[in-house]
Amino acid sequence: MKVKAKLKNGVIKVKAMAKHEMSTFNMMEKKTGDRENANFIFHLTGTVNGETVFDMSTSQFLSKNPIFKFQFKADGFKKGDKLLMSWTDRKGKTGKGKGKIK
Amino acid sequence: MERRNFLNVTLGALALAAVPASVNAEDYRKTRPAVWSAHTVDDAIKAMYGSTDLVMEGVSLTAPKVASNGGAIPVDFSCDKDIKSIAVFQDANPEAAVCAITTNKYSINKYSIKIKMGKSGAITVVAEGTDGKLYAAKQSLDVALGGCEG
Repeated sequence: MKVKAKLKNGVIKVKAMAKHEMSTFNMMEKKTGDRENANFIFHLTGTVNGETVFDMSTSQFLSKNPIFKFQFKADGFKKGDKLLMSWTDRKGKTGKGKGKIK
Repeated sequence: MERRNFLNVTLGALALAAVPASVNAEDYRKTRPAVWSAHTVDDAIKAMYGSTDLVMEGVSLTAPKVASNGGAIPVDFSCDKDIKSIAVFQDANPEAAVCAITTNKYSINKYSIKIKMGKSGAITVVAEGTDGKLYAAKQSLDVALGGCEG
């Protein structure tokens, strides 16, 4: 997962991209004949220094390789801290990524 | 007996250790499974928040009026109220829910995501205020090329 974070005026702006197929039930039924082959990100979190700054549950209707943009207050966080992001998908696979706050 | 005590202590410690990670983050996949299989926006909102009394204010939602590619429609949404969570629904796909965000003390509630829509429809964003009200915004859009068939 790619993560970019920028600190400006006390606000950290984040742009993150997860590399994931995000296949829907209908898509997989058409392609493979089995709805259960569908796989997409279930849950996504972002933490800095152990503090949760982002928490999202998702469905199959995010785009392929979904992009997330969000912002959070820089209370106690500074440049050089690392934003860790991770996701879990329907099959239980996880992905991780980190970005330094610039 | 000693072994039992040991187990109890260990389990207790494990439970304690597991708490901080989930204290301000709620995984709606686990806590509200019905949301994700609901077929209509009303059902999904009801499964999520227990009510469909929406106040159409406080939330701003920006999406293109006409989306040329239904596979990646940019959706921007924000809320200036004090909220506990914010969720996105649409009525074009087989199921309604798209995503749900739990806010935390650092949150500035301004998000951009890209979503898929199989045909033209409407997007609804619902934010759960700390005052218990459900703030919402809705926008319909035309989708030129559906994005769910891949």
